[in-house]
Amino acid sequence: MPFIGQLALALALLVAVYSIGANLLGIRRNSPDLLLSARHALWAMCAMVTVAVAALWMSLLTNDFSLEYVASYSSVTLPIQYKFAALWGGQQGSLLFWTWLLSIFTAIAIFQNRRRNPEITPWALIVLAAVAIFFLGMLNFVTRPFDLLATVPPDGSDLNPLLQNYWMAIHPPSLYTGYVSAAVPFAFACGALITRKLDDGWIRTTRRWAIFSWFFLTLGNLFGARWAYEVLGWGGYWAWDPVENAAFMPWLVMTAYLHSVMIQERKDMLKVWNLALIGMAFMLTLFGTFLTRSGVISSVHSFTQSGLGPYFLTFLIVVAAGYTALLASRVKDLKSPAEFESYLSREAAFLFNNLVLVGIAFAVFWGTVFPVISEAVRGVKITVGPPFFDKVNGPLVLGLIFLMGVGPLIAWRRTSPQTLMRTFLAPLTMGVGAGVAVFAMGLRQWYVLTALSLAAFALGTVIVEFRRGVSARRHLVRETPARALVNLVAKNNRRYGGYIIHLGVVFAFIGIVASSFFRTEVKHSVRQGQSFTIGAYEITYLGLKGVETAHLEDLSARLVVRSGGREIATMAPAKLFYKRQQQPATRVAIRSTPLADLYVVLAGVDDRSGLATFEVFLTPLVFWLWAGGLMMALGTVIVMWPNVRERAALAAALGRDEALGAEPAPGGD
Amino acid sequence: MPSKLRFVVGAGLIVLAIGYLITTAVRNTSEYYLTVNEVSARQAQLKDQMLRVAGRVKGGSISWDPATLTLAFVIVSPPNSDGSQVKPIASADPAEFRVVARGEPKPDMFAAGRDVIVEGRLAADGTIEARQVLTSCPSKYVPKQAK
Repeated sequence: MPFIGQLALALALLVAVYSIGANLLGIRRNSPDLLLSARHALWAMCAMVTVAVAALWMSLLTNDFSLEYVASYSSVTLPIQYKFAALWGGQQGSLLFWTWLLSIFTAIAIFQNRRRNPEITPWALIVLAAVAIFFLGMLNFVTRPFDLLATVPPDGSDLNPLLQNYWMAIHPPSLYTGYVSAAVPFAFACGALITRKLDDGWIRTTRRWAIFSWFFLTLGNLFGARWAYEVLGWGGYWAWDPVENAAFMPWLVMTAYLHSVMIQERKDMLKVWNLALIGMAFMLTLFGTFLTRSGVISSVHSFTQSGLGPYFLTFLIVVAAGYTALLASRVKDLKSPAEFESYLSREAAFLFNNLVLVGIAFAVFWGTVFPVISEAVRGVKITVGPPFFDKVNGPLVLGLIFLMGVGPLIAWRRTSPQTLMRTFLAPLTMGVGAGVAVFAMGLRQWYVLTALSLAAFALGTVIVEFRRGVSARRHLVRETPARALVNLVAKNNRRYGGYIIHLGVVFAFIGIVASSFFRTEVKHSVRQGQSFTIGAYEITYLGLKGVETAHLEDLSARLVVRSGGREIATMAPAKLFYKRQQQPATRVAIRSTPLADLYVVLAGVDDRSGLATFEVFLTPLVFWLWAGGLMMALGTVIVMWPNVRERAALAAALGRDEALGAEPAPGGD
Repeated sequence: MPSKLRFVVGAGLIVLAIGYLITTAVRNTSEYYLTVNEVSARQAQLKDQMLRVAGRVKGGSISWDPATLTLAFVIVSPPNSDGSQVKPIASADPAEFRVVARGEPKPDMFAAGRDVIVEGRLAADGTIEARQVLTSCPSKYVPKQAK
């Protein structure tokens, strides 16, 4: 098995190199045969990488500990689902997984563009192949997943206990999918720049890829946060750790990109900006990988330090320099005829939203690399912790939510102040009303008041938009309001799917604000039968229960939760002990309701005194973070749903070029 | 072009605001991030400062009282962590600091020989009063019996 895997990786590298040569020669000689051969080579690359992945999976499943990778990240008793997940549990495997996704996405892009974009596609494939070659080079020469051990151990050292959790099984694949799929729009952007076909054809061609990437980046961040919440046992879900930041930055830039391309599609503006954004998004995905693999930044997730850092940094610099030079050489071709006319326009709202999003990304970047910079400049390593990120991003996010409220309602080009007042009366009333209501409830923190007012304002905008759409439909066709709502979303899925995402953002934002400001925490060491309280809850410790399997020991505490004298729940937080790694871990008990989460950690049990230590958090409204996140995902699915009108627009955009007879379409269509 | 200029001004204001937020936040939230040896070298100037100290838990130095949630241990410099393999000959005994963390549960990964990051204040008597003890979680473990 290891031999097959190693061979497959070597062949994959060869065919990837060949595909670049064939493409270059094919473009130069205008030879459809060579271009076809290059595409076939990339299909073969995809097949080879698939074989390598299958080989590693087989080795994991059959406990082949002659492989260093299997011995390091698996064990005989590791449950089977985590043997699958061990593919991305370690460095070599996760890079292989990355490469696999890239090769699959390349194959899909080839299939989608078999009769489209005849000029851009070969160049895009060259870019994709070049990225693949970098990763395959790493896998073949630097960090090899199929390296064998000199002596075969009887058992592996097991997967990190923190990773033995179902969120960990789905979080990395989501994130990686989001990361890697950003390469496709990037590659087509490069192709458009090289061939000077700089209309919005490349954007429309890869729009779905960008949304796909954003969808998985959203899920990846959400699952990661959820994993931290359920597994790490500190009551929070986000710590501004470099690794988290690495996942968050591409999401921010991709969000900006998805908004600003709408301006280009609509007004033919911001072309350079869009190209810069997609470049940044792709480079941030590489940077994220670099960050987690180089050990340059000390993170709580300190990964195995490997020699990968310099390679990644070099690759990143080459990509950044190459792309910047390419973009700079085409700036003259990217002159836009249209101009911004007024602050009171949707273009302006989008532009400012872009600036704020990129600003947040920059602040996160700055905070993440600050220790390295301060050490280089001042000779002392200085870190900025979570307070830095909260202080900078807190106000910026307020601006973002405000713009999110403004964007959908304001007209393109310009609006008169009177119209503006009329349009925004309802949402503004909602916003102010919410602020007053929260003030009357006794809340005085200015940030919370502003945040909730703005959230209500943004919510109001979305409601107004839905109402408007429904009543317009009912004006034209006789429909029940519910039916009209469904048809409205179905017929204009891009627009109303987007609003559903906005709704999700508002809910998630409310969840984040409430959980950041109003989380309470108690710690108690109690004996059996004793109780303690948090908020309106009284928690009684009834005793311990131990379960032992071949893989781990599971010691759980039984707790009864009472509220107002009534028993409302039993909870069982646990301490786990993983035998193979001699490593304790925590299993948190969470009782989640839309109003508040009760979160109980069994922090320790002292055998001598019989004291059990509990750490308990009461976090209001954190439920809405997860609900809002899922709503964002749902909205994205609606946006991605196939749409006849969009296909026509794409055909029209591409037809502008194909009408010139770039390629005789084989077999019609 | 006045309309273009207006947008440049608007965008410039946003950029300035972001820059202002970043610089003030850096000033107010930064902490020294030092190794045990670095703390020891500049102990005098670090008194009462917020620090993050990276080091290793010294074997046999851990005391944990679950009733008061007090964790005390000694942090030492991990071998070869500073990049300088050569130990200065003058300092015979390697630098170490007592760390006391009150009111926090003991982290799961916490054990003798583990690499930790201690966040806290350097008290006058040379003890680090920790607000937080973070354990690094390597993605790869070497089991004890294999060594």
